[in-house]
Parts: sequence; structure tokens; C-alpha cells
Amino acid sequence: MSGKYSRREILGHAARGTVLLGLGGTAAVLATKAHKTYAWVIDAEKCVNSKLGVLGVDVCELCASECVITMSAVRAVNEFSQCGRCYICPAYYKITSAVGPDGLPSEKVCPTDAIQRKAIGWIDPDDPANNFYDYTIDERLCNGCGRCVMECKEPAGLSSIRLEVRHNVCLDCNRCSIAQVCPEEAYDRREPVTT
Amino acid sequence: MRVLADSRVPLCAGRWRLGFLVFLFLVFCVAPQVVAQQIDYSRQAEVAPDEETIGEGYVTPEVQHPRSRSARRQLFDVALLALALALAAWLALKKRSRVGLVWLTVGCLAYFGFFREGCICPIGSIQNVTLALFDQAYAVPYFVIAIFILPLIAALFWGRVFCSGVCALGAIQELFCLKPLRVPPRIDRALGWLKWIYLAVAIYYAVLPAVDRDFVICRYDPFVGLFRFTGQAWLLILGAAFLVAGVFIGRPYCRWLCPYGALLSVCSRYAWRSFSITPDRELDCGLCADACPYGAIEERRAVRTSCFACGRCYRSCPVHRVEDSGGAAPNPNAGLPSVDRVAR
Repeated sequence: MSGKYSRREILGHAARGTVLLGLGGTAAVLATKAHKTYAWVIDAEKCVNSKLGVLGVDVCELCASECVITMSAVRAVNEFSQCGRCYICPAYYKITSAVGPDGLPSEKVCPTDAIQRKAIGWIDPDDPANNFYDYTIDERLCNGCGRCVMECKEPAGLSSIRLEVRHNVCLDCNRCSIAQVCPEEAYDRREPVTT
Repeated sequence: MRVLADSRVPLCAGRWRLGFLVFLFLVFCVAPQVVAQQIDYSRQAEVAPDEETIGEGYVTPEVQHPRSRSARRQLFDVALLALALALAAWLALKKRSRVGLVWLTVGCLAYFGFFREGCICPIGSIQNVTLALFDQAYAVPYFVIAIFILPLIAALFWGRVFCSGVCALGAIQELFCLKPLRVPPRIDRALGWLKWIYLAVAIYYAVLPAVDRDFVICRYDPFVGLFRFTGQAWLLILGAAFLVAGVFIGRPYCRWLCPYGALLSVCSRYAWRSFSITPDRELDCGLCADACPYGAIEERRAVRTSCFACGRCYRSCPVHRVEDSGGAAPNPNAGLPSVDRVAR
């Protein structure tokens, strides 16, 4: 063949170009929606630990035990605007435990001591029970066991605590090991609410 | 009789005393629990107090939400993948160094396999990419697109350098391929169809509606359990079985089951510059064909679509052995026209 390229080289270039075009086209189609984040999300209304009316059920700790990450990607989160900020929080204190010398229950619910209790403002020393307390969950300690979620449920609490998947920690496995064993099928893969 | 009654009395009294002591002991143990009171709990608020009720300038704190995903780590992984692919291409095609490729294999196995625990891998990304193409409601992030595309583009230019040592699953099998036997070519070709079937099955299950959807590549990945040191027992045993079999039959998963390998074989077929055995730089003696564990050398030339660029052929080449030990081998093929690609 005359000319700079042999027929074989031209065919080779053509084939390469076609495949590259195909790959590029695929990448372009995918890139149009690649800004969205998809992650595993727990539907708090389905989660057995927060479902109203499901009393007498043992706390479900699968979110803590099943995650492939050592420290589960699930955390408990307190929705402050719905929190009662009570003196004796049933999710902080184990209300069935014996009363300590200060009149408060002696045992706590959280196994990793992740809930922090802080008084809001000035405490009247004669009437501490009529004060408000903020309950914050330390993310570095919380392992997503769900006990506080269960205790905060109606009628003991106001159901302000829920379990949430930390999608910056979550590996977004195609087969989420928690999603497969969740008894209420509360896991779904969709855009997480970040606000 | 009376004597007996008399003699029975002390025994009875002893038994009663013992029983009373036991009772006291039990009461002593149980009493604290029973006597210690629980609080008389009743919910303090029926409704969450608002900021005015709390007063003192209180502002409801922000609910803790997760930070967004670390783009830096994803970028780092993609950059590392690109670097590893480029390095594999250079080591295989330019430097022709088996030692370098082995070290690259070990490094990639350590990072992508054991440290990143094998996820996200380009093999599994096929399912996500397919789903994102078919399902409006699903999208993959940029770095997954990159992880899917980069090895394919590398294959278009340099052949299957991804398989060479960058793929963690391939890397672990590569290190176990110690006493390879030759598989008859017809069986090799027949088994090679399995990966296309697996690809079709994986795509089919990935695009089913959410309730039926199953990511089968992830579910039946025999090696990810070994990277994570945990998993279903049967799958771990299967992974170990693959490795043991791999000692004698080189890289069975890569050659016959890997769905991504099917895509790579298409791309590497049109590779611009791929792994080659040439009469100029080598000897055309055919010793390499025996050294190749994967049956990728035919008629003394590398078969692009199945060559994993492992470099064993170079190690067995007399020319390279002389070169590596510092000498220069005379080339009997100098001056003859060279054909460096099998016509397929």
C-alpha cells in the first residue's frame, strides 16, 4: 500500500477510535448525573428501634454489629428541635436501675458513654429537676447500637433520636451487609438528606 | 419412745436454725435489689420545649449531619490507579522487567487489596455503571466512572496492563501461580466463554428493579473475603480453593470468569502498543511459550487479548538473562523484517 499508513494501521486506528468513542460516550452520559450522591439511608419510620408502638421488643443492634467497617458507619443522632431536654432522659439514664445518691439513676443506657449531658443555662440548686439539659451524641464514640433510640421512643421519650448512616464513612457497598439483615427492610439507596 | 422424741428434738432445732440462717442470707442478698428503689419515672415533657420556654438566649443546636464524602481520598485512589497502570505499562513494555512487575503486584495487592479491602474495584463497577446507564434514578460518582474507564483506556493503548499486577484479585492469584501446568488450548478457549456468560448474568441482575436486584459480582467475589479476613464460610473456602488451584493452573478466575476481563480482551485487541515478543529484542527461540502459564504465546508471539503482561516470558528469555547479568547478547535476527503482532 502506498501512503503513510498501511491498511492494517488505519483499521487499527479506526477500531481504537471507535472503542474510545464508546467509552467516552458512556463516561459523558454518566458524568451528567455524577454530581449526585447516592448512599444507603435508613428510613427512621421503618427502623424497629424507632417505630412507634413497637414495645416489648428487644433492641435491634444489627446496625452496630453487621457493618463491614469495624466501627459501624451508623450513628445515633438527636433531633434537637424534638428533644424534651428533660432532667432525667430515658435514653441517657437507665430508668430501671437503682437510684443513686443524687436522686438520679445510677446506670446509663449508652454502652460507649457517647451521650453527653449538659445543663442549659443556670441551674437552680434547689430545683434542678426544672432545668433543661442538652443531650448530644459524640460521633467518635457512638457505635450505632440503637439502645438510646429505643429508649427515647414513645411513651418514655419523644422519639427525637434516630439512627443515621454516616455516608462519609460508609463504603456504599453494593451489598450492604446491614441492609440484608435489617428486620424491617429500612435500608434504601438514595440521595441522603444533608441539610 | 420418749427417749427417741427427746433425741429428735435437737436435730429438728438444728435444721430449723440452719434454715433460718439460709433465709437471712438470701434476704441479705436479694434485699438490696428489692429495697433499692427505681425512680418513679414519668415523661417530663409532652412536647419539645421551644427556645422561648428554655429562655436565657438558648438557640437550638444544629443536628449533627455527616460531612460530605472525602473527595481527597477518592482522588488519591484514582491517581494511584492511573499511576499503577502507567507503571505497569512501562515495566512490561519498555523496561521488560519481571522483577519490577512482581513488586508492583505486591504493592497493589497491599494497597488495593488489603488496605482498601478490595472495594471499589473496576470489576464490580460494571454493575454500577450499567445500572446508572439504565436507571434514571441511580447515578455513580465521578471517581467510580474513572475507576471503570481507566483500565479500559489503558488496555486500548498498552494491552491488559491492569491484569498485570494492578488488579488486586489478579495480584493475589499471580503471586500464587508457582507451578503452572499447561492447559490444552481447546479447553482454554471453551472455558473462556464463561466470562462472557458471567458478564451477561451480572448485567442482567444489576438492572433488575430494586427488589430483585442483585450485585452478583460482589456477592460471589471469592477473594474479597480473604482481603477482609471475614465473610461467608463457603465463599472463603472457594477463594482458598481458587488460590490452591491457582498454584497449578495459573489465574483461573482471571482467565475464565472475570467479567471485566471480557471487556479488557475487547479493548486490548485493538491496543496501540501492547506486550510484544519481537525477534529484534528477543531471540525467536520459543522458550517463552513454555514459560507462559496462561497460554498467551502462540507462534512465538504474544496474544494480546489473553496476555496478562506478567513478564515470565522475559525472565525465561536467554537474551534478557544475558542482558540482566550485564552482558550484551548478539542478535541473530538483526536485519530481518520483524512481525511483532499475531494477526488476530
